[in-house]
Amino acid sequence: MTITHHPTDETLMRYAAGTIGAGPAIVVGAHVSACPHCAEAVRTFEALGGAILEQTEPTALSADALAKTLARIDAEGKREASGDNHSQPIVIDGVRLPDTLKGCEIRRWRWIGPGIHMSRVGVPHDPEANLILLKVGPGRALPDHGHVGTELTYIVSGSYTDALGQFTPGDIADVDEHVEHQPIVDRDGECICLAAVEGKMRFNSLIGRMLQPIFGI
Amino acid sequence: MTNREEGESLYLTAEVLEKLLVAVATRQDRDAFGSLFGHFGPRIKTFFRRGGMSPEMAEELVQETMLRVWRKASHYDPGRAAVSTWIFTIARNLRIDFNRRQRDPSLLPSDPVDVPPSIEDELLAAERDENVRLALAKLSPEQQAIIRLSYYIEKSQTEIASELGIPLGTVKSRIRLAMNRLRAVLDEDQ
Ligand SMILES: [Zn+2]
Repeated sequence: MTITHHPTDETLMRYAAGTIGAGPAIVVGAHVSACPHCAEAVRTFEALGGAILEQTEPTALSADALAKTLARIDAEGKREASGDNHSQPIVIDGVRLPDTLKGCEIRRWRWIGPGIHMSRVGVPHDPEANLILLKVGPGRALPDHGHVGTELTYIVSGSYTDALGQFTPGDIADVDEHVEHQPIVDRDGECICLAAVEGKMRFNSLIGRMLQPIFGI
Repeated sequence: MTNREEGESLYLTAEVLEKLLVAVATRQDRDAFGSLFGHFGPRIKTFFRRGGMSPEMAEELVQETMLRVWRKASHYDPGRAAVSTWIFTIARNLRIDFNRRQRDPSLLPSDPVDVPPSIEDELLAAERDENVRLALAKLSPEQQAIIRLSYYIEKSQTEIASELGIPLGTVKSRIRLAMNRLRAVLDEDQ
């Protein structure tokens, strides 16, 4: 996997800070797992979080806070947190999806236009998350997701090309609403990508915007 | 021994914090845990409060964070991250979990998902820590404030603009400048 397109520093910082939102976190996490360069940047931004926590001025805790915590430690004994949740990789159309989608509901493809299928991903803890899988045929244009905020697109398989260059598996497109771009899937095969749109935009309007250029409604 | 005012928290160096956490990990040292609690608990409380959490909830999650510090202490690797960074990630994951449960009350508290494991460390933790502290100190107070806000609250730039009462364009350029300066300082120190 040769990665050439990375998220912006601001996106990586908010991912490390845990303030980016559930959908975008899944898309950025997919890239970070595949990209040593961004994994290192995330560690740096986590260290920045540590420094910020260290410099945050203290707020007094209630007098018995420590005693209560010690009592809880006594009550639960030496139990270790079980950190392992190894489960099967998620596969769609023979293509392995990023592990950051574990726990999400992956629904069936829906035809939304010639050569274009979409599946809205169910993010269990965030019903309003605008996270979608897109499968677009060779030579087809990706539908306009109707940017209202930042849009993050991770390439799972295949490739597309737009004004920013060619995007291949592992790459992420991190573009805000001012970037004019029209990705066209490369001719040698279909392209599956995972996209999140930031903000509280309702899905209905998202579908509407996606269908608009296709049906001219 | 120093005489502390009530409510005032200890200030301890990174080396001391590391020794304390290792003492918790290797011999379940309660005094060491108490010192870590005194140092981090009040700071974590502010961290949660800045994100808009109620005082009661913040207090509750401080206890939960420190409980996890106790439980997971043996997983701490000093070569990988400073104690403050490690505890920050625990508090951050708990806040993500809390926010999810706010949106979906049917969800049970879970062990929060960790950020994917890293591939390999390019820098020593101590070096990275030194770099970010230097970088942060070199930012203007306004730039520092906007970076801190990015760590405290889950808000879009538009929401941050209305919260600070400044135009969106100003927020955007302040963030961009702050990120550019951070990146410049981080790169030059590598
Ligand atoms: Zn990257």
